[in-house]
Amino acid sequence: MSNKAPGVRIGGLTVVYKTPAGELPAVRDVSLTLEPGSITGIVGESGSGKSTLALSLLNAVQPPGRIAAGTVEIDGLGDVAALSGEQLRKARGKHIGYVFQAAQNSLNPLKTVGKQLLDLGRSHGVDDLRGLVREAKELLARMGLDGARVLDSHQHELSGGMRQRVGIMLALVLNAHLVVLDEPTTALDMITQANILKIVREVHAERGLTTLVITHDIGVVAEVADRLAVMYGGRIVEQGPTTEVLGAPRHPYTRGLIKAIPRLVGDISEAQALPGRPPTLATVPQQGCVFRERCALRMDVCETEDPQAVADGSRTVACHAVTVKEHA
Amino acid sequence: MSVLLESSSTSAAMRRNFWSGVWRVMRRKPSRLVGVVLMAGFVFMGAFGPMFYPDPLPRDPNQITRPPSWEHWLGTDDQGRDVIALVVTGSRYVLLAALVTAVITVVLGTAIGLFSGFKRGRWDTVLMRLTDMKLTIPGLPLLLVLSTVWKFSSAVQMGLVLGLLSWGGVARAVRSQTLSLRERGFIEAARGLGLSTTHIVGKELLPSMAPYIAMNMLIAITGGVYSQVGLFFLGVLPYESNNWGQMLNTAVFRSGALTVPSALGFLLGPLLAILLLTLAIVLVVDAMDEIFNPRLREE
Amino acid sequence: MITGTGVVKTFKQRGKVLGAREVQALRGVDFAIPKGGAASFIGESGCGKTTLGRIIAGLESYDAGEIEIDGVPMSGLKPKQRQPHFRKIQMIHQDPYSALNPTRTIHQTLHAPLSLRAKQTGRSRAWIEERAAEVLSLVGLDPGTVLARYPHQLSGGMRQRVVIARALTVDPEMLVADEAVSMIDVSLRLGILALLKDLRERLGVSVLFITHDVATARYIGDDGELYVIYRGQVVERGAVDTVIADPVHPYTQSLLSAIPVLHGLEQPGEQPVVPLESLDESRPDEGCLFARRCPFRTDRCMSERPVLGRTEGVPQEHACFYPERRSVIARPMSEV
Repeated sequence: MSNKAPGVRIGGLTVVYKTPAGELPAVRDVSLTLEPGSITGIVGESGSGKSTLALSLLNAVQPPGRIAAGTVEIDGLGDVAALSGEQLRKARGKHIGYVFQAAQNSLNPLKTVGKQLLDLGRSHGVDDLRGLVREAKELLARMGLDGARVLDSHQHELSGGMRQRVGIMLALVLNAHLVVLDEPTTALDMITQANILKIVREVHAERGLTTLVITHDIGVVAEVADRLAVMYGGRIVEQGPTTEVLGAPRHPYTRGLIKAIPRLVGDISEAQALPGRPPTLATVPQQGCVFRERCALRMDVCETEDPQAVADGSRTVACHAVTVKEHA
Repeated sequence: MSVLLESSSTSAAMRRNFWSGVWRVMRRKPSRLVGVVLMAGFVFMGAFGPMFYPDPLPRDPNQITRPPSWEHWLGTDDQGRDVIALVVTGSRYVLLAALVTAVITVVLGTAIGLFSGFKRGRWDTVLMRLTDMKLTIPGLPLLLVLSTVWKFSSAVQMGLVLGLLSWGGVARAVRSQTLSLRERGFIEAARGLGLSTTHIVGKELLPSMAPYIAMNMLIAITGGVYSQVGLFFLGVLPYESNNWGQMLNTAVFRSGALTVPSALGFLLGPLLAILLLTLAIVLVVDAMDEIFNPRLREE
Repeated sequence: MITGTGVVKTFKQRGKVLGAREVQALRGVDFAIPKGGAASFIGESGCGKTTLGRIIAGLESYDAGEIEIDGVPMSGLKPKQRQPHFRKIQMIHQDPYSALNPTRTIHQTLHAPLSLRAKQTGRSRAWIEERAAEVLSLVGLDPGTVLARYPHQLSGGMRQRVVIARALTVDPEMLVADEAVSMIDVSLRLGILALLKDLRERLGVSVLFITHDVATARYIGDDGELYVIYRGQVVERGAVDTVIADPVHPYTQSLLSAIPVLHGLEQPGEQPVVPLESLDESRPDEGCLFARRCPFRTDRCMSERPVLGRTEGVPQEHACFYPERRSVIARPMSEV
């Protein structure tokens, strides 16, 4: 059992979806490194490609989508994008735990949680099922639940926050050290959300995980993530340490997004909505900067050339305007 | 009434959009076109087919129970009549009765289901108990009993009886659809805006259920065909005119089509007709959902 | 003016014949929303805020208490007679996807209530078309492009604007927005919030906001009132900014403490309040409804239930025996 948090290196990843208008990229030429033992947050609106990117980590993009280019290197597994069939199935669950979007509703309503746990164990060839149950109970207890009671429960007997914790337990119980949480707190209220985020942070530290959190809510990422990547129209437009990106955002989209969050103190009218609306698969510009339609800093070059991610220390930004300003 | 008030240009444009959308849906899967053509064929056969043949059909004493040949594509029956001619002339009764069955099933079922689901409360309880009671009546035995007193000489009569026996399932299904739809935001909004019940049922609920109802209608047609063919095949009804079920009965019991190869065409004729009709309906049902859903219609 | 006094609603749990449990959704709630005014209800899911909103919009009945719309009490009226009063209060649903009929174009959707209106007031067909375009312009949509569309051809934000436009066709006095932006993309939410605020200022429509996101409640305007609801009871009530800046009820404080801190931009509050346990409604409560979860409870809290009222030195109403200000919300870095 490798007890080390794996690192993940995504390089030049492009995922396309087949549509009547041809193959359109949902994720285009994305490079991202998850440092071992870090929590990385990906923030994006609907259609930004964040969920597709997360699925690529499992090589689980469903047709009509497919990984068209790029690599997903995970320590101890190799290039996941090149795996297939049985190898891939084993890797999921054992190495990579995935907590699906709306995990609150992803349990089988007809089976108790315990039965689903055993199913999971059997399908991954776990011999020591007793040990698995013990491990599950410990995890649930760690998250503040009565393990025995939860394993005996059906989905409808659990509250939203409890189901989310069951989802996390199922993702971790096979001893995965890379965990992907897709929208972990959507549809939960504030107090439950705070509780779940605290659990995510604590379990991450205790078990030595590499964690990826996908969300539309900057607040969630701000609470848990060490590093933050902002996605828009299938591209990562900005990434860096969370406090630095939030404290001094550089990309106009990141700036707009932060400005669009209503705050508890200060002048409420300072919050400003971003003009326009996020692009869909069909309306993402094929050429030039994906954000230019809504950008205040738009220049001529944005129409034709895709801005490359430019690194500056631990941060990268993909924006012509920012690059010009810094070099001027 | 609100349709009347709509500016004519918009509604005309929408109608145009609708038909071009239907065409797109059809073109996407050619099998659907086959279904529509087959369906049109059956309608034509039922409506005008019998006019092409003399009544009664000519008998050829030299050609009794013959296998398929150039002259008679599906062979002849035990009285020397052409099987295809029999299938065509027999289609009117079968199809008309099935259509009447389907219309009654759908109209009664939808009306009761809608009312029950929309009103809820006491009305719902009473109507659903009634429906349950109706569903517990075993259809075939009852039909057998009825057939001893009633001769079903007209297709409309047959359809009426079959229809009255089969609306239960549709009523239950439409009720549950109504119950789930009425919780949707747009129905609630319509009530909040003070729109009339007529509007809510006619303009908001029914169109949302249209594909479902249309599908039920088509399925009820096959159901209607099967039940009457079954009744005539069992031979419990004396026949006065040509009929697919009666053909099957004669083919199997009198000509021994299951053992005598020369009578095979006689058996195949009505079976093929039923098979093609079912196929046509399945294919059209496949297109139905996309036609009624504005989103799928466009893509 | 819309007021409620002692509104009570009890749900019977369905499906259980023996030992059927009753859930007290609302335990006697008072509220008052003046003409052109604003209020917001905040609380956890299941606290009764949505039920109260639906009762106010006339979509749900209530078991006891009274609701008055412009001075007319509703409980004496038959459903048919209530309808025109409740029509002045229009609901904006959370989900803009199910709030519009997918089989009808925006034109048809707006047309139905407008033609009813035209019939009642004897106005012409031309007025209907004019008014349809007008309400769409009011919500910031271009009638030319939107009218002929089906809902699925619009984005979530645009749909929510259409829903608001549809509500405006009946010239409502109040809009009830139940989590109206939670399903909309983050960058567009503010646009919808600003629109509601703008409609309040321009048309004098009062706005009732129902949300679990406290920060959005500030958007209704600083003259608005904030109602913090917990298990069917109002536990704190006062001016929006007062309650957010200086909450005194431990429940309000735990709600505010739970709001994510934008590290790098904000500094967390110094005295965050975390509930001792999660919500469990299966056990009966003799005393304060929040007592079992409250870190500051005393024996008195476990046996006696506080009622909403005022105490000296606290500007807002609250239902706590020991009101105390605590610094719970995050502050911008620059202020620290």
